Formats: sequence, C-alpha cells, structure tokens
Amino acid sequence: MARLRIVAGCALTVALVAVLLYLRDPSWLLTTTSGMRGWEEDAGRRFRWMGGHSSLFVPSEARLIEIPVRTTFDEPGDWPITVSISIDDRPGDQLVLADADWHAIVLRMPPPGSRRVRRIDIRLDRTRDDNRGAAIGEIAIR
Amino acid sequence: MLCLLGYTFVYATGRADRPIRSDGFSYYVYLPSWFLFHDTTLSAVARDCCGGVYPAYTAIIRWPTTRRWVNAHPIGVAIMQAPLFVPAHVLTRWTNLSPDGFTLYYQHAVGLSGLLWIVAGLAVLGRSLRRHFSDGITAATLATMLLGTNLYHYATFDSSYSHPYSFFLLAAFLELTERWYDQPRTDVSTLLGIVSGLIVLARHTNVLFLLFFPLYNITSLSSLRARLALFTRQRRVLSVMAIVTAIVVSPQLAIYYQATGRIFVSSYGDLGFNFASPRVVQVLFGVQKGLFFWSPVLLVSCAGLLWLARSRQSARAFVVPALVVLVVDTYIIASWWDWQFGASFGHRGFVDTLPIFAIGMAGCFAALTTHRQLQQWVAVLVVLAVALNVFQMLQYWNHVLPFSDTTWDQYRGLFLRWR
Repeated sequence: MARLRIVAGCALTVALVAVLLYLRDPSWLLTTTSGMRGWEEDAGRRFRWMGGHSSLFVPSEARLIEIPVRTTFDEPGDWPITVSISIDDRPGDQLVLADADWHAIVLRMPPPGSRRVRRIDIRLDRTRDDNRGAAIGEIAIR
Repeated sequence: MLCLLGYTFVYATGRADRPIRSDGFSYYVYLPSWFLFHDTTLSAVARDCCGGVYPAYTAIIRWPTTRRWVNAHPIGVAIMQAPLFVPAHVLTRWTNLSPDGFTLYYQHAVGLSGLLWIVAGLAVLGRSLRRHFSDGITAATLATMLLGTNLYHYATFDSSYSHPYSFFLLAAFLELTERWYDQPRTDVSTLLGIVSGLIVLARHTNVLFLLFFPLYNITSLSSLRARLALFTRQRRVLSVMAIVTAIVVSPQLAIYYQATGRIFVSSYGDLGFNFASPRVVQVLFGVQKGLFFWSPVLLVSCAGLLWLARSRQSARAFVVPALVVLVVDTYIIASWWDWQFGASFGHRGFVDTLPIFAIGMAGCFAALTTHRQLQQWVAVLVVLAVALNVFQMLQYWNHVLPFSDTTWDQYRGLFLRWR
C-alpha cells in the first residue's frame, strides 16, 4: 500500500511538472485574447471593440506590428482617448485618438525572448457608453 | 464528475459566455481589486477594465455624496473564491497571460469555484440527511435536488453567481446547528460564527437563515422555554459565536464606511423592496420564473415537510425553522422590485434554500416507504419532473427558452421543442 502511494505520488508530480512545462509557453496563446468583443465588419474592415483593457499575443519573432485603432465621437462632449500599449508589461507606445478616423500604432518589437509569443496589452484612459472604448482592427505582423 | 462534464460542455461548445459576467462580475471584482491592484475602493479595477466607469450591468454605483464606488454585491462570494484565485494568479504569471484578474485562468477559477462549492454543499447535505434517513433515500434526494431543480444549472452554466455559495453555506449551517445542539462546544460555535458571517456576506437578505439556529427543534411552547434556559446556560459559547460572526462581517462594514461614510447602506441605491405588494403567486407559480412551475419536483419537498411536521421522525426538528425561513424568504423575494431576479433558469432566488427543500424531499421519500402503491406513482412523477427539468435546462442553454419574462404562449409554443 505504501509503495502504491509513493508510485501514485511520483506519477502525480511528473504529470504536474509536465503540465506546468506545457503551460509556460503553449501554442494556443496566439489565438487567445482578452477584453475584446466579437468580430464585426464595416466598409470591408474587420474589427473588435475593446473596453478599458485588452490583451493579445503575437509571435515573438515578429519585428514590427501594426495595430489599427479608432474610436467614436458620437456625442458632443466626447473626449479624446489615449491608447497605451505595453509589450510583456514593458511600456511600448501611446497614441491619442482625437478624431473618429482609423489610426495605426506601429510597434518595433524587441528581440525574441525565451517564449514563442509576446503579450501585447492595450489600455485606454476612458471608454464611451457600455464600456466601448476603441475598435481594434486586424493586426499586421512583419 | 457530472457537474464537471456539464461545465466543460457549456464552455467548450460556446453555450455560455465567459464565467465572470453579469452579477458574477460584481461578486468577484473585490479579488482583483484587493490582491492585484491593492485597492479597497474598486477604483483601480474601474480604470483598468472600463476606462474609469463601471458599466450599468455591474450594479456598482457611485455613492452620490462621496463619489466613491459602492458594489451592490457584498464580499462573501469573493472570499470563498479566493482559494482558486491564488493558483489562477500564479498560473497566469507562469503562462504570461495578462494578470488583470479577468483573463482565462481567473475566469475558470471563478466558474469552477461555484461548481466546487455546490459539490461541497451536496456532500455536507448528504451527511446531514444520512443522520435522519437511509443511504438510499439520501442518494435519491441529492440526485433529485441536483437534476430536478436549477441547482445543476447554477453549478455549471451560471456558477459565478452567489447561489452556489449560499447553497453550501446553508447546508453547512444546518449541519453545524445539529452538531451544536448535540454538543454545544466552542469549536462548533466558532465554525457556526464563521458560517453565519459568510451567509450575511454572501447575500445580506440571507441573514434570515440564521433563524434556523434558535428555532431548531422547537415544537411547542414548553420547548421554547427549555430553549431559553439552554441559551442562558450556554451564553459563553453563544457569545463566542456572536463575536466570530461580528469579526467576519466587520470588513464589509469597513468597506461601506470607506465608500459612503456609513456602515449600513442600501447598496442597490434606489432599487428596493415593495413590501406592500409582494408578487407571491407569480414567484411561486408564475410562468415567468415561478418556483414550482419550473421545478415542480419541489412540491414533493413541501409534502415531505408537512409529513415530517406530523411524524415522530428525528428530522422533524427542522420543520418549524424550515417553514419560517421559507415563508419569510418567499415574501422577501416576492417583494423585490425585480421579483424574477433578471435572467435565470427557474427562480434563482430559491437556489439558496434548496438544502431546506432537500430535508422535505427526503421526508417525503421516507414516508412513501410504507406506501408501496403511492411510492411507485410518486417515483414516476419525480422521474418525469427531473426529465422535464433537464430538457428545459438544455432548452435554456440552447437559447430556445427566453432568459426572462417568459409568457404562457411562448412556453406552450416551445414546450418539448428543440428549436
């Protein structure tokens, strides 16, 4: 019985370590996003609305990424929105959306690290009604 | 395992949106606020998630005089979610997901937390039932409660709401109450104090569940007098219970004070009760969300409670507090401005009191053991009620049944239809 417990304990530890190793850099992160609604399309451009904070992943070998972004100015008192980007929690770039046109945030990516993907966080300093902040278009990776 | 299967099914097939949604957001929001943003005012999460202003659906409002955030939902659920929040945060860091409190692992920590508390509640309830009923009756009761009511739905599809937590807490409170009357020890009193505090913190109106303790096994005026004498003798352990309850509740009062300058507030703002015009009939029998309309198997529980009241069965000790709590709870639910409790499968307001209904159901099953013919009829009716409930739950999951405001014409048109 004691030997069985030791074997079960060892098997559990090995399984746990294997799961943790897998979860350090899983490939599904490339399709993982947070803080964004479903895809919409307008005038041939696909985009997703985000609230105050969203995140997505890009391949770590990417040299340059371009994030199309816009907001709305439907109400007379609507203030400009500041978009702040960070790459793996390090500050990247900022952009102030002062009109309703699409703008592109171009980020020069740091050299690849130990992971296959890099996390991009997009933060806004304010949102409009119903927690709609900015529309994020399809990201171009070079 | 059955709950885990259902949970995996609703999320893997996209039937349910992410777990932290609707009321689930405001019950949980304290954890990221306290532990990730080190902020007790909820402002930092508002800035991060929502550009500084919580959306209306969260029921987190700015207090008019202080302009600070007041959450309609108290901190109890978040406290009970903390055990899974910690590993979720560690894993989030490990996988390099955004550690903002709302990414993948946090979402399922919250979803699975509700599921686990319902499973724990069933285990505790089973322990209490086995003290009074046979193993077979206990197993039949637990299975019927899980699949014949909306309990399974709140263990899977809507597990981030407060109801799984209140279900567990009431089951634990009943178990501890019996243990206290068996042996009024300090450790049991301390546990009762913790559970009592958490009951209040999970849902303030559930404070009425605490009536179970003084009313347990009251069957006559003389037993009431004996109870007062017992409480006088046991005042030391009772004061331990009261002090522990006060300690558990005190952080909530501090939060209210910080936000409003007062320790007692109506956290729902202008929304409140219409005590003069309760919608009792609709709440119990209405098509929209009527308790017995959507969970007809609970009529068996009511019959069981009435049988227990006239029997010499030991579970009779629960009858008086059960009836008092159910009547008052029904009146409170029926008086709430939104007596349907918004979107829900069945009436979610009664999920919290299902442990009480379970005692009645076990009582009914026990009574039927001596009535062979009736037993077969009731068994057929219970199986049909369970099957109907499971089918209607799947209809709800598939968005066939409306989330609220169901009309008789809609119900008739959709009855036993898959689309």
